[in-house]
Amino acid sequence: MTWKKKTKKLASAVLLTPMLFLAACGGQTDTEMSESDIENYPERDIRGVIQWGEGGATDNISRTLAPLAEEELGGTLVMENREGASGATGAQYVYDQPADGYTLLFGAENPNGLYQVLGISERDYLSDFQPVSIIGQSYAGIVVNKDSEFDTLEELADYASDNPGDITMGTSGEGGLPYVASAMLSAELGTEFNQVPYDGDGPLATALLSEEIDATVLAVSAAQEYVDSGDFKMLAVINDERLESVPDAPALTEAYPEFEKYLPWGPFQGVFAHKDTPDAIIDKLTEAFAAAQEDEQFQTTLENLGVQPLNIHGEEAIEYLEQNRSTSTWMLYDAGATDTSPEEFDIPRVDEE
Amino acid sequence: MDVLQQFLTPFVNIELLLFVAAGTLAGIFVGAIPGLSVTMAVALLLSLTYSWDLLPALALMLGIYYGGVFGGSRAAILVNMPGSPSSVATSFDGYPLSQRGEARMALTLTTIFSFLGGLVGVAVLATAAPLVSSIAIQFGQRDYFLLAMLGLLLIGSLSQGSMAKGMFSAGAGIILGLVGMDTIGGGSRFTFGSLQLMNGIDFVVAILGLFGMSEILYQLKTLNEKGQTVTLKKMAFPPLRFLLGFLPLSMRVSVMGVLIGALPGAGGEIASLLSYDHARRTTKNPKRSFGKGAYEGVIAPEAGNNSAIGGALIPMLTLGIPGDAVTAIFIGALFIHGLQPGPMLMEQSGDLFWVMVGSSVLANIFLLIFGLLVVGIFVRVVTIPKQILLPIIAVITVIGAYALNNSMTDVYWMLGFGFVGFFMKVYQFSVAPLVLGLILGPLIDSSFRRAYMTAQEPGAFLIGFVNNPISLLLTLAFCFTLFSQTKTYQKMMASFKKKQKVFRK
Repeated sequence: MTWKKKTKKLASAVLLTPMLFLAACGGQTDTEMSESDIENYPERDIRGVIQWGEGGATDNISRTLAPLAEEELGGTLVMENREGASGATGAQYVYDQPADGYTLLFGAENPNGLYQVLGISERDYLSDFQPVSIIGQSYAGIVVNKDSEFDTLEELADYASDNPGDITMGTSGEGGLPYVASAMLSAELGTEFNQVPYDGDGPLATALLSEEIDATVLAVSAAQEYVDSGDFKMLAVINDERLESVPDAPALTEAYPEFEKYLPWGPFQGVFAHKDTPDAIIDKLTEAFAAAQEDEQFQTTLENLGVQPLNIHGEEAIEYLEQNRSTSTWMLYDAGATDTSPEEFDIPRVDEE
Repeated sequence: MDVLQQFLTPFVNIELLLFVAAGTLAGIFVGAIPGLSVTMAVALLLSLTYSWDLLPALALMLGIYYGGVFGGSRAAILVNMPGSPSSVATSFDGYPLSQRGEARMALTLTTIFSFLGGLVGVAVLATAAPLVSSIAIQFGQRDYFLLAMLGLLLIGSLSQGSMAKGMFSAGAGIILGLVGMDTIGGGSRFTFGSLQLMNGIDFVVAILGLFGMSEILYQLKTLNEKGQTVTLKKMAFPPLRFLLGFLPLSMRVSVMGVLIGALPGAGGEIASLLSYDHARRTTKNPKRSFGKGAYEGVIAPEAGNNSAIGGALIPMLTLGIPGDAVTAIFIGALFIHGLQPGPMLMEQSGDLFWVMVGSSVLANIFLLIFGLLVVGIFVRVVTIPKQILLPIIAVITVIGAYALNNSMTDVYWMLGFGFVGFFMKVYQFSVAPLVLGLILGPLIDSSFRRAYMTAQEPGAFLIGFVNNPISLLLTLAFCFTLFSQTKTYQKMMASFKKKQKVFRK
């Protein structure tokens, strides 16, 4: 064989092999589920898609719940992270998979109307998914550095409305917790912050420690340690009553009762399936995940993570999602954070309900 | 001596010892296989170890962490496919070394100096954690910008011949790094409405394409030329005196590595790039020029990225702030197991700190042992005939790209990068600056804008560069490095040396 021939042969072999892999990876078939398929569910591995990155609150909760749900389901859950675009990538991915219950979305509050009004993605929990379980919710707190001149939320809010844009508020990007909370404040109190986005709770805490930013909004669990150590002052928890974990931080409604209508509001985590998933499978999943969450160790884990357990499903979960969605989206619109009215997506106002 | 007892726990507790050992060994392989990342492996362990006690879980995770960062350089040296961003710099001289038949030497040297670098990291963690973390916290966005700009100056060293081509390549990398959702403004850049592109381009995908796939295509082009097989040179274990010669360099870059690793916004990849740069600038007369297989060129980045691990653990243990993606999962593990990572962790669970330090030392020891033991196995990769090796690498690049996010988009990107890299090689553009731009571009972009947004006006922004001590230091370093690459500087140095000679006469 001549060199040239050999090369040609080799070249085709080298290029063909990955092509075959491409073909193997790309092949997907949509098949209708027969009754026996539904009956025997789960017959193969279930993929759990976590819409946020490794090490985040959603990741921690999902990965600890997964082995417990496996036991209840009698199947295997393979967890993977698909982060990006505020979680829209993961949500879109699950939406694009067959509605057979073999791909589940482990998500946070983000796909709940926020993508639509902020123009990130079309996906939405209520129109594209069915809730399997809402696992729990957490609370957010407004924090400043210990050396900050502000000791109360009133002082901060007054200053921020008298000196628009003077206070730097760290956010975690559009649609994130501090972003929505800032919108809430400016909708009711007319505050205006100089918003600087960071990559999540860790970088935000760092920036606040070094006073690179003046204030931010963190999940209470993420801020609590710094409050206990005296590094941060928590000016308010975004809730209608004080929390046991940070008893010294006043509830938002103590100073400003007008926020009552938005509450309860905060980040939450849940498990979701494609909206066209057969009811029998949803029922199986719901039952399994509900039972899994009753595990005592898991309850302790939630407590450690600063999450209030909800473990709700079905109608109750849908009502919860509706309330949360109305609050977040209208708040953003009222504060001028987005020009897209929630009305375009038929999201009712909170106080109209 | 409570501290000593806690420190020694992993050494005397056989269970912990075995977990660290198993983790390190597994980590070496996870790191060596492109597409499998340490982050993925440690995240998997989070579920697996949920019902375990905390210490064995942490021991296993730490082992994987150390082994994985080290393992990344194996593939970089042997087949020019860095397993992770932090071993990109190792491939610059590592691959040329193995092409010269000195793979055994490269693997041995990197193992020894990874071990030393790792130990320096642990030593700083054990003795100066609170001090280092208080410095790291003061590092503002402006300083990250300067640090990334310093890294960008590496283009000069990586361009191989034509500076203009190097700049072009880096510029293309920076632009590719912009693709995706803008983390600051939230807008989409170059996504053409596609959600797949919103995620941007993972630089591991770029590495797999530019280094792996393009090399395969390039080799096909030159297969006609005979005599391509690499013969392994016989090598005795390097003598101690030879090794000691590299000690000062490795210590300097290790200290640098810890500091960069401790920064919450920078990690092993920046540490190894800057270490490589440092080696290149401070090695006066390398036996072999950089880029052609200089020993210093593999030692510095490996010592740097392994010491960065100790650094990354510092903010995590002292402040509850992750130094990188892996330590973020560690924090999650601590939460799940009922601890409260934060500024009070050291006071409340000081024992944990010392067990972590002990396990880290142990992981480094196992890294040295396993690293040296597997040299003999890994090194054979080089002697595999191309007809067999190239298809295998082709498959690995595809699987690796797919496995990263389980997404076909990444595979297409990888193939695209493969072709781009091929043509770059044909027309003698160096691909390294492109990867550099891809890694540093997003950091430069976001840190510059955050710094500017925080300062709110141009005046305050510019003054910040000189009236903050850290910024001032970095600004000076940047200006000096830039100046030292100009002709004026070289002329000045030449005339200065002449004068000295005249004076001596």
